[in-house]
Amino acid sequence: MKTSLFYRIALFCIVFGLGFIGCKTKESEGRPKKIAIVISTLNNPWFVFLAQKAEEKAKQLGYESKVFDSQNNTAQETDHFDNAIASGYDAILFNPTDADGSIVNVKNAVSAGIPVFCMDREVNANGVATSQILSDSYSGCVAIGKYFVEILNKKGKYVEILGMVGDNNTWNRSKGFHSVVDFYPGLKMVAQQSADFDRNKAMEVMESLLQAHPDIDGVFCGNDAMAMGAYQALVASGKADRVKVFGFDGAEDVVKSIQDGNILATGMQFPEVMAQTAATFADEYFKGKRDFPRKMPVAVELVKKDNVENYAAYGEKE
Amino acid sequence: MPKPIRYLIYAAAIALLAYNSVYFKKLDEVKAGTTAFDAAGYAKDFWEKKLTPGLSKAVDLNVLTSLLEADKEKAFNAHSHALGIGNIRYFLVRGQGVVTHVDENEVSVQLTDAGAKTATPHVRIATEYIFGNAVRDASGAIDINAFTNSMDFNNVSAEINRIIRDTVVPPFKSKVRKGDRVVFTGAIELNRGHLQTNDIEVIPVNLQIEKP
Repeated sequence: MKTSLFYRIALFCIVFGLGFIGCKTKESEGRPKKIAIVISTLNNPWFVFLAQKAEEKAKQLGYESKVFDSQNNTAQETDHFDNAIASGYDAILFNPTDADGSIVNVKNAVSAGIPVFCMDREVNANGVATSQILSDSYSGCVAIGKYFVEILNKKGKYVEILGMVGDNNTWNRSKGFHSVVDFYPGLKMVAQQSADFDRNKAMEVMESLLQAHPDIDGVFCGNDAMAMGAYQALVASGKADRVKVFGFDGAEDVVKSIQDGNILATGMQFPEVMAQTAATFADEYFKGKRDFPRKMPVAVELVKKDNVENYAAYGEKE
Repeated sequence: MPKPIRYLIYAAAIALLAYNSVYFKKLDEVKAGTTAFDAAGYAKDFWEKKLTPGLSKAVDLNVLTSLLEADKEKAFNAHSHALGIGNIRYFLVRGQGVVTHVDENEVSVQLTDAGAKTATPHVRIATEYIFGNAVRDASGAIDINAFTNSMDFNNVSAEINRIIRDTVVPPFKSKVRKGDRVVFTGAIELNRGHLQTNDIEVIPVNLQIEKP
């Protein structure tokens, strides 16, 4: 009798427990899917725009989403990933903080069954992220390099201001530029220095470079913030009319500067296209698609005086 | 064992460990992508086995410009290719015309229509600035998923352009004169969002001069 009572209680617990699990499963199936948007930093308006567009697209597709700011800190990024995994997020749209340091976060999420779609910045591991949607920085800078050679008429001295040396975009941009410019022995790079994608640092770097090389003809900067900083230093030294400045990004102040005939050109990136593609890929993943391109380059367009009227900050004029 | 020999062995062991623990490599080499990928070999293979046999599929530039004016989307959907997404798309084109100007960077050509003999737009055949992805992407014969490293397919473009710079351009550039009739096949880049057909630049793949 005792045994029979034990079995009855056990059976009751199992049935009751299964009922609970069933309820939980139904609840999970019923709720809308959740997408985490993990962004390297929200201190830069370019990344704020990227996050907003990803959020908008996720909402438009019928998903809940939340933006996490990693503040350029991989440890914080890891916390966000842990949080996203524990909270039951179904996909992560990811703008990595560090090409190498962020790999482990992507691996953890994918191991937990959560697809990760990288936006704008890549991780240095093939096939780890579900897909990586990236600006074609190299090709964009090939176009800038060609225009640079034309404007300087194949000769002169120039300096290059690099972004963060640990970031892949820095080198893809630099390599694309040099893949053209290095063909011309008349163009001599007299200095190459990093300013960490920062406007104020670029201004300081440019000021010190001008002390050592007062006779330069051009400056190529790895992003628009640095181009603005370099231009400011040139204005202060009275050389802005003679030295040609080239940037990359498509930031609002540089688009305006090109319109005003100050900065010569930039490479327009399309954060909205990247964000929308990443959110659309997540949607397709939920619907069963699995064969995503590992890397999806997004074309960068050369913006200069004669076509600037087609563009606004971070993309095309609407 | 005498102390000096023992110390010598310790020193040798430490030196051996230190030597094998640290190595130096140029940052350029690390950033250059996978060293195993032979971009030059891939480009040569692509040129001989995919691009050259596929040149017959190039669309006539007169036909294309007319189609772009009539129905831009149809023209882009039917004839353009690109490895990525965005406005920049590439077309494999052929054409013929009369040379109107030759300078150090390009050869200007007034296209002619073989059938109607009517004047058609000018194009510029690049002879100096052979850069970018136009030729790599225009044929649509390369699959982006075949590459695991983005620098590899950038290097493929550079190597294809090198073939053009070394083999296609020199014999043409040395002989071409104003008034020559030229027949060409090549690749062009057009912006889907901001289309301009009055300033087309052709990156040549095949060039022939027919003296008048």
